[in-house]
Amino acid sequence: MPDGDKKIDAKTRYSAGVLEYKKMGYWEPDYEPKETDIIALFRITPQDGVDPIEAAAAVAGESSTATWTVVWTDRLTACEKYRAKAYRVDPTPNNPNEYFAYIAYELDLFEPGSIANLTASIIGNVFGFKPLKALRLEDMRLPVAYIKTFQGPATGIVVERERLNCYGRPLLGATVKPKLGLSGRNYGRVVYEALKGGLDFTKDDENINSQPFMHWRDRFLYCMEAVNRASAATGEVKGTYLNVTAGTMEEMYKRAEFAKELGSVIVMIDLVIGYTAIQSMAKWARDNDMILHLHRAGHSTYTRQKIHGVSFRVIAKWMRLAGVDHIHAGTVVGKLEGDPATTKGYYDICREEHNPVSLETGLFFEQDWASLNKVMPVASGGIHAGQMHQLIHYLGEDVVLQFGGGTIGHPQGIAAGATANRVALEAMIYARNAGKDYLAEGPAILAEAAKNCTPLRQALDIWKDVTFDYASTDAPDFVPTTSVS
Amino acid sequence: MKSEHTEQEPQQAVSEVNLKEEFQQSGVSDILSELDNDLIGLEPVKTRIKETASLLLVDKAREKLGLVNEPPTLHMSFSGNPGTGKTTIALKIANLLFRLGYVRKGHLVSVTRDDLVGQYIGHTAPKTKEVLKKAMGGVLFIDEAYYLYRPENERDYGQEAIEILLQVMENNRDDLVVVLAGYKDKMDKFFESNPGFRSRIAHHIDFPDYSNDELLEIAEVMVTGMNYKFNPESKQAMAEYIALRRKQPHFANARSIRNALDRARLRQANRVFNDSKGPIGASFLSQIEDVDIKQSRVFSGGIDK
Amino acid sequence: MRVTQGTFSFLPDFSDQQIHEQVQYCIDNGWAVSIEYTDDPHPRNTYWEMWGHPMFDNPDAAAVVYELNECRKVYGSYYIRIIAFDSTPGWESIRLSFIVNRPANEPGFKLNRTEVKGRNIQYSMTPYSSDKPQGSRYK
Repeated sequence: MPDGDKKIDAKTRYSAGVLEYKKMGYWEPDYEPKETDIIALFRITPQDGVDPIEAAAAVAGESSTATWTVVWTDRLTACEKYRAKAYRVDPTPNNPNEYFAYIAYELDLFEPGSIANLTASIIGNVFGFKPLKALRLEDMRLPVAYIKTFQGPATGIVVERERLNCYGRPLLGATVKPKLGLSGRNYGRVVYEALKGGLDFTKDDENINSQPFMHWRDRFLYCMEAVNRASAATGEVKGTYLNVTAGTMEEMYKRAEFAKELGSVIVMIDLVIGYTAIQSMAKWARDNDMILHLHRAGHSTYTRQKIHGVSFRVIAKWMRLAGVDHIHAGTVVGKLEGDPATTKGYYDICREEHNPVSLETGLFFEQDWASLNKVMPVASGGIHAGQMHQLIHYLGEDVVLQFGGGTIGHPQGIAAGATANRVALEAMIYARNAGKDYLAEGPAILAEAAKNCTPLRQALDIWKDVTFDYASTDAPDFVPTTSVS
Repeated sequence: MKSEHTEQEPQQAVSEVNLKEEFQQSGVSDILSELDNDLIGLEPVKTRIKETASLLLVDKAREKLGLVNEPPTLHMSFSGNPGTGKTTIALKIANLLFRLGYVRKGHLVSVTRDDLVGQYIGHTAPKTKEVLKKAMGGVLFIDEAYYLYRPENERDYGQEAIEILLQVMENNRDDLVVVLAGYKDKMDKFFESNPGFRSRIAHHIDFPDYSNDELLEIAEVMVTGMNYKFNPESKQAMAEYIALRRKQPHFANARSIRNALDRARLRQANRVFNDSKGPIGASFLSQIEDVDIKQSRVFSGGIDK
Repeated sequence: MRVTQGTFSFLPDFSDQQIHEQVQYCIDNGWAVSIEYTDDPHPRNTYWEMWGHPMFDNPDAAAVVYELNECRKVYGSYYIRIIAFDSTPGWESIRLSFIVNRPANEPGFKLNRTEVKGRNIQYSMTPYSSDKPQGSRYK
């Protein structure tokens, strides 16, 4: 690890001119981060010829107090305190010109309870910086002192289960398909069939808001008719995620209020509404006993490539603070990007009380969640009943499994598709509890259950060969190696 | 009725079994060796247990080959004086039954009448049921079981406990094994007045008193276990003590030996404290002299308090 | 119809042996197992009647199956469910809940629609069986 130059005395430091960042105090290799510091881990790829320490110091500077030249007004502040401190730079295991830079930020740099401020501070300025070829925010450590300023998820996994009276198994959902074009009445038909057949939830897609082919009020009215009919037909609590995303906050509140009036248990928002809107909606959800589902629309524009952007694990942490109850977090075996180890990292961030350091799943910091409610991860995208054993193995029990195509594309109809999924799920959970090696025996367990359930048999016949095997673009840097003793 | 047994799928048809292999693999041979090595004396009991183990092993094999339909009755009665190893053996039996797959968990719940019988009306049934539920998957050991039966007191609730016990012993044979224990003559009288019990008990095992030599051996093992030692004189004193003590009332075999040794340690401590001048070593502190034993009132005709 | 509350309602009804397996799983996880019964199957009826207290100390599921059969003797025509409660911090709630006994005949629920302003409808659900008073709903 190269050792940079230390900072210099005050007179030299503050005389006008341009200084290297690492000499301005942004590189402090001996700094011990405090319990109350927020720490960010960046993956930096400096331009050719740029010293990595200087690059790290520049990132620290540009994400806190610096500017490209020395300014006398610095001396009007307790600038030592407000400077972010890059304290550690490590080369990454696999790439010669790539480094991990650890930067610590003083707690007072941030407004309490504001994700907008956190993000504006840390990623608001520095990503376009010329001396860097690429930059990615990999992970963050949030101190308990900071976490306690947030509401957190309005409902959380435990209370959600209590409200739905559903324990001991993943929840089941489906996005209404086709994504666009259905009118309100026909949309409700899909919801009714799917819920009656056995799913717990159906879902509006991220781009269903209020379009000429279906106004939002009609959707809400027909959906709630469907939900209540299905509830009476089964004796279970059912719901559909009513998407309240709109062009303005006022319009969103109007839509959410209507959903509440109609008796929905859950509403949905898209990530693209922005962090401030998300926090407001979480607050509203808490005040109105509503479960809040977040679709992570648009995240792949900046989370997918390993060298540049923001890792989804950071987004997940921000969203847990912001206060959503559901977040899409990947399926591993479905059609969308997500390697098993990194996906486990995301799920742990959502669901655990405390995350220990786990480099193989991409968790670089120990993170204590200070009793913040747990977020239910949602697995959605190209999964089907034939993969049930893998889904439970990779994703566990506290997850919403969404089978959109896998329900609506069933040859005997939507209700049959829903029943197939529900039977497959219950049979797999039953086998797991009874101590069977359900991962290895999965197909046999499903075939056995299918004997009593024609819809499941049909589903397995149609989809048994469907898999999505591509190389992941974002696998972890650290892979556990077996040691020889 | 699945047990945590290392054996294979029961559904598959098997045409042959290797008994010696089963004996080894199930861990039963280990338990029987332990029995031989760790417990002194008790020859008739050990023999009885080995016989029972073979019976159970063969029964299991027959079950595998499809020859057996009914689960066997496993309830037992242990009769003998106090301190003859009944509870210890009950523990070993529980382990044995677990290894052979007759009970699922193999834990031992040890109770007396007071744990089963209530003090007021409506108290007994839930109390008894709670104990039974806790014992399910393992072995229920009822010491001095005959106290459940008090015909002279018509408001006694023991009868209710007896009824519930009998029912569960019959209907839940797969779920737990009951061992009744106590003095031989009292047990005999109890079974006479409660034939329901006798018909449900498959194995009666008698626990004879230890011989003097066996008790001396037990004393030596106990003494070593506590990191003390005899010398030839104190060992001789111990042998004399045993011979005398057994004739005196409330003799409780191994338990009496344990009590005697505790008192000997007390006397030894006092002697060492009074006699010591200057630093002393481990050897001195662990030596039991004959005076430590001979001071017992057993030698003057009456037992120690 | 068939009320599909609980974790395993879409599978064929369990035998005592299957119930034993699932309950043993709960006990092995350190959860307290309870038996509850009701004749009001409305999905928002949270508080079914308790059959005894949660069983905290029984290492073997046979104890629960025994109690279940005792309960069936008295309430065999009701809905009976088994629930497992986890007291670890961060949960302190139910981890598994499944129905182990049903009335022979499940008439289902009536959906009540009350039209209010605009095109809104207020919905409520009434079990058909609750036409009769508690205790005589399922014979």
